[in-house]
Amino acid sequence: MFRYVVRRLLYMIPVAVGISIISFITMYAAGDPINIIRLGRATVDKATLDAIRAYYGLDKPIPIQYLNWLSNILQLNFGKSLYGGISVNLVIGNWLWETVKLQLAAIFLALAISIPIGIYSARKQYSKLDVTVTSVSLFGVSMPTFWLGVILIIIFSYNLGLLPSEGAYGGTKIWWGHPFLDAVAHLIMPTAVLVYVSLAQNIRLIRANMLEVLRSDYILAARASGLKERTIIYKYALRNAISPVVTYLGIALGAIIAGAPMTEYVFNWPGLGRRFVEATTRLDFPVVMGITMIITVMTLIANLVVDIIYVYIDPRIRIR
Amino acid sequence: MSLNQKETSKKQEVKRRSASQWAVAWRRFKRNKVGVFGLIIVIAVFLVGVFGDFFTSYPARPNPDAYLPFYKGDVRKPPSWLENWPKQILNWTYPFGTSAIGTDVYSDMIHGTKYTLYVGVVVTLITMALAIIIGSISGFYGGWVDNILMRITEIFLVFPSLLFILVFVRIFTLTVGDPFWTIPIINLQIPAGLTIVTVVLAIFNWASNARMVRGEFLRVRELEFIEAEKALGASNTRIIFRHVLPNILSSIIVVSSLTIAYAILIEAAVSFLGFGDVNTTTWGQLLQENFADVRVVWWAEFFPGLAILFTVFGFNLLGDGLSDAFNPRLRD
Repeated sequence: MFRYVVRRLLYMIPVAVGISIISFITMYAAGDPINIIRLGRATVDKATLDAIRAYYGLDKPIPIQYLNWLSNILQLNFGKSLYGGISVNLVIGNWLWETVKLQLAAIFLALAISIPIGIYSARKQYSKLDVTVTSVSLFGVSMPTFWLGVILIIIFSYNLGLLPSEGAYGGTKIWWGHPFLDAVAHLIMPTAVLVYVSLAQNIRLIRANMLEVLRSDYILAARASGLKERTIIYKYALRNAISPVVTYLGIALGAIIAGAPMTEYVFNWPGLGRRFVEATTRLDFPVVMGITMIITVMTLIANLVVDIIYVYIDPRIRIR
Repeated sequence: MSLNQKETSKKQEVKRRSASQWAVAWRRFKRNKVGVFGLIIVIAVFLVGVFGDFFTSYPARPNPDAYLPFYKGDVRKPPSWLENWPKQILNWTYPFGTSAIGTDVYSDMIHGTKYTLYVGVVVTLITMALAIIIGSISGFYGGWVDNILMRITEIFLVFPSLLFILVFVRIFTLTVGDPFWTIPIINLQIPAGLTIVTVVLAIFNWASNARMVRGEFLRVRELEFIEAEKALGASNTRIIFRHVLPNILSSIIVVSSLTIAYAILIEAAVSFLGFGDVNTTTWGQLLQENFADVRVVWWAEFFPGLAILFTVFGFNLLGDGLSDAFNPRLRD
């Protein structure tokens, strides 16, 4: 097990480096960032520009810039923002935690809801609930994430006044102003949106796999030997039905993490996604690069965790 | 079974042989109500995209007449049939209200339909072209070619693609001069910014489809008739184009329908985040323009979003229905 984890960790390094090189090249080779920002602005004299370039280290050739950037990032120094030279670490700061909090809440809730519903839907195939679940989930796949968020805000914040419409804390004193309850109140709608979107995919997948497993011979044998239905489903069937779901989970996690910009933008959530949108609009490349790398590493770690769970569920993998 | 019966059934079979694989699939598709419903939505959306411009009260955006409601003082008007409910239920001056900048939401939406379809269809064409080229080379030749191409595909799959799409769109739209490009010979105008968005979306979307095409190629390649064809001395190109591709065409059609749905959703997201083409009124663009004032103009957020939802839903239903019609075995 330990060797497996180490091997996977080592495999992550070239992927992360590859993505960092590609993103660095796309951003800096598209043109000198200073020049791009200057487009359509009042003329600045050349001496000032050179001074700015030297300040950000943009006067060196791109490979050297990349190596500088890489060595800095290994020391967890993400560089300086092109706007005012503030350290990117400060810009990102504790907003990283807010994003992680939102993602974790969404992922756990999505799993806790989709697994029982998927199982139930497969056991009672073509029942009323099953038909409802399958059609509602197809509807869920078709729904633009941000639009769902906007509609929830209109209904629950503006019309009913039950939940705060933006931010992660503070604002109007709903829910008695207790700090913890306040944080929970702010979490509800963004989490609901993230969960609903991934729910649709998860349920469809779990249902399809469960249906396949329930038809297999060993379940028939278990039934014939008179085991309890609960034991059959949760001990025998679930374990086999869930392993393809876990594979898919890696992709789903990536989607949730990368989908953060939209949800965070709608709910004005103080997280990485919103910072990313802001920075990209202003072409603030160091910030964009920093957030891209953090999100890439988060996705890779999520994939690693998924793979470890996978081995735990299906020990046959370890042998390979 | 008596001899007589056997003969008649044989005769019928002989007659029926003229029905091609496509006719059989179509017959199966027609029986699937949900799929037909999807097809109806898709056809309706295409009709609106092509002929809708004749049924709007106001012209499309760059034309100053689009802002007439603004000059009449009708900024942020709720849908006219909803105002003074239910007295004016037959008043359809502004069916979906007017936007925060004083345009008719209904007219904007109708004009936006063709752009939305443009994005969906063109992204799918480019995506499928890339996917078929890379997937078939990889699946047919195998070996180290397959290995290299699949590693590249994997990198594209792990990429946080939305982030890259935003960065690329932002950088490339800076270089756009004219809002519209004209294709020389047929004299067709295409929106420049939107085309850039479309190409970027396609570049980041082909990977999973290429994997699908490769998988299908691997499956078909092992079938006996391909071996027979090889024994007859057919060239690789002939095998790929005359034998393998027609056999996986059904899967390609299904995936294309789902890709159109996905492309429309992503374009809406990109526009909503403020990275879209400001010269076109795609539905995502409408959502972006009115988002800041959503507290007042909820109708200008609700109806364009509903249009996206139904269009995407239609393409998804169509895709599912086609998939059931082509491979009835896969149905659970």
